[in-house]
Amino acid sequence: MPEVRVSHLFKKFGNVNVLNDIDFTINEGEFFTLLGPSGCGKSTTLNCIAGLEQPTAGSIAVGGTPFVDTERGIYVPTEERNLGMVFQSYALWPQMTVSKNLAMPLSIRRASRGDKAERIHDALDKVGLSHLKDRYPHELSGGQQQRVALARALVYSPSVLLLDEPLSNLDAKLREQARAWLKRLQEDLGITTVYVTHDQDEALSLSDRIAVMFEGHMAQIGTPKEIYERPATAHVAAFVGSCNFFTGKLENRNGRICQVRLDNTGAIVTIVADGDFTIGQEVTVAIRPEKLAITPEAIDVAGVNVLHTEVLTRSYVGSRYEYGLRLGRNVVQVVSADGGLDGAVRLVFDPEDALLYPGVTIPSQEAQELMTVSA
Amino acid sequence: MAILATERPAPVQQRAVLPAPKYRKVFGVGRSRLFQYVVIVILALFVIAPIVPILYQSFTDRPLYEAGGILTVQNYVHLFTDSGFGTVILNTAIFAVSTTVLTLVIAVPMAVLVVRTRLPFGKVLGLSMQWPFYISSLILSFGWITLYGPAGFVSVVVRDAIGFVPWNLYSLGGMAVTEAVALAPIAYVFCANALRQSDASLESAAQVCGAKPLRILFSVVIPMLRPPVVYASILTFSMALETLSVPLLYGTPVKIEVFSTFLYTNGLQSIRPDYGILGAASTIILFVTIATVFVQAKVLKNSQRFISVRGKATRPRRLELGWIRWVGAAGILLYVIFGATLPILGLVFRSFTLIFTPLQSPFKTLTLANYDRIFTYTAYINSIVNSVIIAAVGAVLISCLALAAVLVAKRSNFRFARTVEYLALGPQAIPGIIVGIGFFWAFALLPNALGGLFQGALAGLIVAFGLRALPTAFGSISPALMQIANELDNAARTSGADWLGAFMRVLRSLLFPAFMGAIILVFVTMMKEYSAALFLSSAHTGVIGTTMLELWVQGNSGSVAALATIQIAITAVFVAVASQFMKGHADA
Ligand SMILES: Nc1ncnc2c1ncn2[C@@H]1O[C@H](COP(=O)(O)OP(=O)(O)OP(=O)(O)O)[C@@H](O)[C@H]1O
Ligand SMILES: [Mg+2]
Repeated sequence: MPEVRVSHLFKKFGNVNVLNDIDFTINEGEFFTLLGPSGCGKSTTLNCIAGLEQPTAGSIAVGGTPFVDTERGIYVPTEERNLGMVFQSYALWPQMTVSKNLAMPLSIRRASRGDKAERIHDALDKVGLSHLKDRYPHELSGGQQQRVALARALVYSPSVLLLDEPLSNLDAKLREQARAWLKRLQEDLGITTVYVTHDQDEALSLSDRIAVMFEGHMAQIGTPKEIYERPATAHVAAFVGSCNFFTGKLENRNGRICQVRLDNTGAIVTIVADGDFTIGQEVTVAIRPEKLAITPEAIDVAGVNVLHTEVLTRSYVGSRYEYGLRLGRNVVQVVSADGGLDGAVRLVFDPEDALLYPGVTIPSQEAQELMTVSA
Repeated sequence: MAILATERPAPVQQRAVLPAPKYRKVFGVGRSRLFQYVVIVILALFVIAPIVPILYQSFTDRPLYEAGGILTVQNYVHLFTDSGFGTVILNTAIFAVSTTVLTLVIAVPMAVLVVRTRLPFGKVLGLSMQWPFYISSLILSFGWITLYGPAGFVSVVVRDAIGFVPWNLYSLGGMAVTEAVALAPIAYVFCANALRQSDASLESAAQVCGAKPLRILFSVVIPMLRPPVVYASILTFSMALETLSVPLLYGTPVKIEVFSTFLYTNGLQSIRPDYGILGAASTIILFVTIATVFVQAKVLKNSQRFISVRGKATRPRRLELGWIRWVGAAGILLYVIFGATLPILGLVFRSFTLIFTPLQSPFKTLTLANYDRIFTYTAYINSIVNSVIIAAVGAVLISCLALAAVLVAKRSNFRFARTVEYLALGPQAIPGIIVGIGFFWAFALLPNALGGLFQGALAGLIVAFGLRALPTAFGSISPALMQIANELDNAARTSGADWLGAFMRVLRSLLFPAFMGAIILVFVTMMKEYSAALFLSSAHTGVIGTTMLELWVQGNSGSVAALATIQIAITAVFVAVASQFMKGHADA
């Protein structure tokens, strides 16, 4: 299973830059996910790999073979790339039965009769649908169609598997099961896989590595753990998982230990952070809801970061509670197992658990407005 | 689905890799690209062939196939000084504008009534509203003259009753009314479709607010109609500009000339036609029609945006209009009966009698003599056979070309995809009679051996009629393709099929119904067509239309009626059989 090398990819539609210097390498057998909000260019990137779009500049190589290289004028058409692709709508050919759908790529490759039958049987077996091989696509459920589409993409043993939001048309429950199933199948096959989704849970649970994209730019590439725990920018932190953001000023700094005065209450918090910060600089502090702890005002707590707040809202979301706490003009989201907190409480967090970003980067205007209480 | 969560996928056996297919290249391009170039070259030749000779002729001082031509603008000067072209322009303008207004007056209220209100027998009325489309306007005009002409059946009845006939068919007004009746189905279909697509929730909202049905009709439904109405009016206007049948039959006896009849008289009826003036007039008319089609394309683009912004199609709610609905139903019935059904039935009946007048019972003179006359002359029989051959062969060829053009225009990354679309839709702007003149000159310019293949031959007629039918075919296949998700061909491409392979293996069978639909449409269109043949037919390659005109001039209105009946019968049988075949295929 070969590696996929995408370098300095640019794509313009008319005057709009849809992809800007997209650059990454996917290792052999890796499950690699392109994650980002709608319209950020994930599908365009995938289509460039598939050859369905031609990049304006840049190159793509699979297993060392150049598929497209704008400088050298190389372009291998889609049909000669030998990739397997599953589309969002599954794109099963409606006039053919399941086995005919699978037979087509094989007859294009002039496989012998016996080989064909065997491969079709194998592929359908892999997705657990051999008993439905004579059905037409419209006679299958959404989940079954999705598996047939996958079987069709795998039946000719392609070098790389490309998946464009293949689970987005399934209902929530089925999506979770299909996710686990897909992950096992990919591991068993060991096939290099590029997966496109805007669903962060999907990306986190499936991927070996994730590339987060915004508006045609690559924001961060890393393992799910890295992306979640050390997001490179406030945008990534906001998009992957939920996050509280506070703006403030850097008051003091001693090595990795930074002291920040928060704009909302004027309190000073301590944060351990890498990176270049100068004293007096505007910064943004980001903390995940589950990294915050709430303790009743009555109990004394030791710790560097203790903020005085009060409970605004509490909602039960199954197995835990979500609190909204007032912090100056901000509402802070906190997740806690304790459902009995009310009134004045204290908010505690570890300096290692907060993230610090330069500048006042408010990721989403709308989210920020929702997180503000009118004075 | 529980199986999913527990069962591990079967263990994997590695199979031998099946390499992706390699496609051969000719001159560095694949067969798909080659195919796309072939399509654009054929289209370009097809469209440019009749236009270039016209332009050239309009600036040349002698017939274009004579040697030693000198470039000049003299033709244009002549055209505007001493050929009466000014009056022609005025007549055409009056005719086209009044036709457009009348067409909208008929079509728009009917579309609203049928689609948006609860109408008695709404469905039947809606369908019957469309059937005049299948009748050629030449035949419709014959029918109208038979009933409402100076000596027509209805005219005589009315004169007997009140002492005079309150209308005069042989006038610009009469022409406009007849043409409007002929064009109304097209405008109707367009408005009805737009209304079906538009959002009904607006109306529901108005209803919830307590608005009365009539109020809703005027404040919500009618404004929504603006884009389709604008489009339909431009469409009607451009079709009225180029129509030949009605002006030819009504206008010639009383010397009212419009664009098309001007070309007809100057090109065919004068003993020594002035080719320069013919070329210059054709050029100017071409400019006008191209301009209207251009505006039409622009408006259509905007109106589509207008419709699609409204989002999801919901089932339109039908308004309850009380007693007004009976007025509406009666109006539609009046149009269908007096506009189309009676004239056509009258014509059919006429074909079986010697004399057709209320003064004497036509049943007394029932006869087959009108048909006898047609079947005793080989030239007449030939014209029927020719029409069928042209329509049948043309339907297949043109539908194939249109299918190829749609694929290239809508589903390829071909650099000239847009050009292909313009080329395929462009002939809409070329009036039939100009197509005839253009190809007549183009064939004359071809080297002898090649020219002989087309000059006065059926092949020439197929080419000329085909050009006229191409936009229709393109327009009927293109929406069908747009409904097929692009991902279906992308899936074929990633599976290893090249562009042409994706069509052959996946799209072909999905597009088959649309292709059959195009064949039917082209057959009907080419069956109705005759104007180009006026210039292109030789003595033994006449078509039904030209023969009807010939018989009309001779005063054989009985045989004209007989030929018209035959043409209607052929069309009806073909449409019935083909639709049956299509149904059978769809079930399989
Ligand atoms: N053919 C095209 N012409 C013009 N713009 C396009 C075209 N295809 C995509 N775009 C634009 O490029 C941008 C990226 O599109 P893309 O389909 O890659 O987004 P995406 O990340 O896959 O989004 P989604 O999650 O909604 O599928 C979008 O803003 C889109 O409007
Ligand atoms: Mg996408």
